[in-house]
Amino acid sequence: MTYATTSAGNEKAFVTARVLTAARTFPVLVYIATAFIAFFFIAAVEQKLLQTHDPLALDLMSPLQAPSRAHWLGTDQSGRDLYSRIVAGTGQSLSIGLGATALSLTVALILGVTAGLSGGWIDNVLSRFFDVLFALPTLFLALLFVSLFGTTVSTLIVAVGIGTSPGYARMVRVQVLSVKATGYVEAAKVLGHSPQRILFNHILPNAIGPLATMFTLGIGQAIIWASGLSFLGLGVAPPSSEWGALLNAGRNYVIYAWWLEIMPGIAIAIFALSVTVIGQYVQQRLEGRIDLP
Amino acid sequence: MSKLAAVHSALLLKKLNRRLKSHAAIIAIAVSGLSIASAMQTEDASAGKSQSGVIIRYGHFQEPPCLYGGWVQQWYLQRQFSDNLVARAEDGTILPWLATAWTVSDDRKKYTFQIKPDVKFTDGTVLDAQAIVDNINGWLSDNAELQNPTAGPYLRSLFESAAATGPLTLKITLKTPFEPLLNVFAQSSQGILSPTALKRGKAVNCESPIGSGAFIVEKWNRGKNVIFRRNPNYNSAPANAKHQGPAYVEGIEWRFLADPTIRYGSLLTGESDVVYHIPAVNWQDANSRFKVVRHITGGTPLRLALFSARPPFDDMRVRQAFAYASDRSAAVQAAFLGSLPYEGNFSLSQSSPEYIRELSKSYSYDVDKANKLLDKAGWTERDANGIRSKNGNPLIIRITYTNAFSPPDGDQVLQIIQQQAKAAGFDVRLQPTNQADFWAGKNLGPNDYEVLPLYWVAPGAEIYRISYKPDLNGVRNPFNPSRYQDLTLWDIIQKAEQVAEKPERIALYQQAERRIVENAPSLSYTVLDVTLASADNVKDIWLDGGSVGEPVFSDAYFTDKK
Repeated sequence: MTYATTSAGNEKAFVTARVLTAARTFPVLVYIATAFIAFFFIAAVEQKLLQTHDPLALDLMSPLQAPSRAHWLGTDQSGRDLYSRIVAGTGQSLSIGLGATALSLTVALILGVTAGLSGGWIDNVLSRFFDVLFALPTLFLALLFVSLFGTTVSTLIVAVGIGTSPGYARMVRVQVLSVKATGYVEAAKVLGHSPQRILFNHILPNAIGPLATMFTLGIGQAIIWASGLSFLGLGVAPPSSEWGALLNAGRNYVIYAWWLEIMPGIAIAIFALSVTVIGQYVQQRLEGRIDLP
Repeated sequence: MSKLAAVHSALLLKKLNRRLKSHAAIIAIAVSGLSIASAMQTEDASAGKSQSGVIIRYGHFQEPPCLYGGWVQQWYLQRQFSDNLVARAEDGTILPWLATAWTVSDDRKKYTFQIKPDVKFTDGTVLDAQAIVDNINGWLSDNAELQNPTAGPYLRSLFESAAATGPLTLKITLKTPFEPLLNVFAQSSQGILSPTALKRGKAVNCESPIGSGAFIVEKWNRGKNVIFRRNPNYNSAPANAKHQGPAYVEGIEWRFLADPTIRYGSLLTGESDVVYHIPAVNWQDANSRFKVVRHITGGTPLRLALFSARPPFDDMRVRQAFAYASDRSAAVQAAFLGSLPYEGNFSLSQSSPEYIRELSKSYSYDVDKANKLLDKAGWTERDANGIRSKNGNPLIIRITYTNAFSPPDGDQVLQIIQQQAKAAGFDVRLQPTNQADFWAGKNLGPNDYEVLPLYWVAPGAEIYRISYKPDLNGVRNPFNPSRYQDLTLWDIIQKAEQVAEKPERIALYQQAERRIVENAPSLSYTVLDVTLASADNVKDIWLDGGSVGEPVFSDAYFTDKK
């Protein structure tokens, strides 16, 4: 018992030391990016912790106030606190980003793996299908969806998710084809492993590695697409403060109340850059360009 | 000079009209004589202003689906290429245009017009009495290709016949008197088009309509612009034009710049010479830098039609409560930054002759009153968020809106109403609808909305015939989005339309106006204006304030070479 406890304690200490050592080797940018993502995550989950004002409270006597101590990022046309509105919009923006990217990767995985494994005419048909979808701009596909099914958070998720899936599907197909041709998959076949076992134990784990990176990069991109749709007036209905909707609401005031346009833009940029930094770091790790000690 | 003459004509017309009601022919001849004389004088005065190779680059807001039709955005375009039977001065006086003179029978049912000679459409077709008859018959026919969505609702049930009793004599007979008839003829949607060209079908005419106006539609590049070129043979300007004869400039590039920042920016950078509708945030700047002209349109102001055919707005108390529940005056100030006034009289616009100013303060913000009215109406239960309900049904108000009928800055007003009405227990939900979907009927079904922001421009209270006519004999009035059915109101409106004496007519219309405000089938927040800002070197662009403020470019010229 004593031995076991000591052994467990040693192991815990070893892991802690390893994590701390690893943490010391993280680039500064990764720390900064993680801090921002943590902030946005808290804003999404428990927005009231970070808000300084009610994001919907009107103050018609104080419209278009510049950033100040009372209103850190200024006020909008109706005197609403912009910082609190950006915080309030984080949940919707992140839901769209995460949801759309997850949906996109799921669709891509199903179609890409099917095409890559099946080969023959199925591969041909699916590949041409990807080509056709790829020929249509992402925004066009998203617009089509929004026009058909309306402007809600779930529609935006589906619109952006479907719109961005062809690129990922192609990538999955190529990964599956390359893994399928590796020696260890051939060996597994020779050893008589079942197709399911080969798929789940060998092909998928090796093929979806790069997708983990794409997932992080995709979240930022999906938020930008969704913001683009909101900017075009096809986003979530007011008084939602989804980031793109804030950008859209502020565009007429860009010369006279710059904060209405710049601040939500900075929020989008910071989040997209943060997930990109993390994504690139993960990618480098997976490719073995950065080793933990 | 022509304006002065027009005013003289108007004064003369007023004086004589009082004395000689049944001898209108004499009046008309006098008016026509003055008009022709003034035209000759102004032609001389304007000699030398004609500018070859010079075009006006005009930045406009919305692009309609056809270059003519019932939407005011189409009227603006039609004003450039077609002429009307008569014009209307800002004070309501009817002036000669294609008709140089007219008489009205004693029973007020027969109108006889003398048509200006030697006028041709730009396809060479002669503009005579028969051409106008063909137009009017088409407007009121069952042929969807020719129907006029403005003239139809006004005149269809009143109209008996139109006939050319001579090459230049037009006779219109009504079933019952309708005093606003000439106001209706003065609106640009009733511009006369070439009957030869109309035979080409609506699709072709939408792209390249042919009128007799100061400009000719050369090309419509959809999504981009309409190119107009000068009609070199133009000889039929209205009596209130600043000059007779062809336009001074060689053409107009009518650009569609939907984004207000870009549109105003194009004026700042010199990419446009004139722009439409200045964003609220640029209003002060525009007035300090440019020449700004504005007309507040008549008819209804920007109003929120409350769907009164089913709960909750079938109960007048709930409609009134909704009106009391928001500080629309402060909302207008915040959203439009002082560039537009608050308008509480949702019945009629302040530029209409029948407008009652005291009604502009109707339903001022009073949450207590709103709460009491809702309590009385039985909406007494409240949920955790304060939203009221009755018999288990929450008090949900859905507002369907589009930028076709709600200016961009107006969205902010709706958001403020949404937030403020919550205090009285309303759950207001905004349903922004893009223009294409809106025209296709999205969010507009009978169960899809409780509030619809809209306007219908007209010179004055004759708009009531369109906006508040109840469904009669099983025929639904599609232009009554409030679905407000008030037979007493309809009776007052019809009486007003038939009274020849102006003071009596105005009194009846005002009776209708008060009744509408009292019953609150709508509520309003601001006026609908037409505003142009132009560069310093462009002169004599004007808004046709007698009609609905259509921009007029035929008198415009540049003071320096571009």
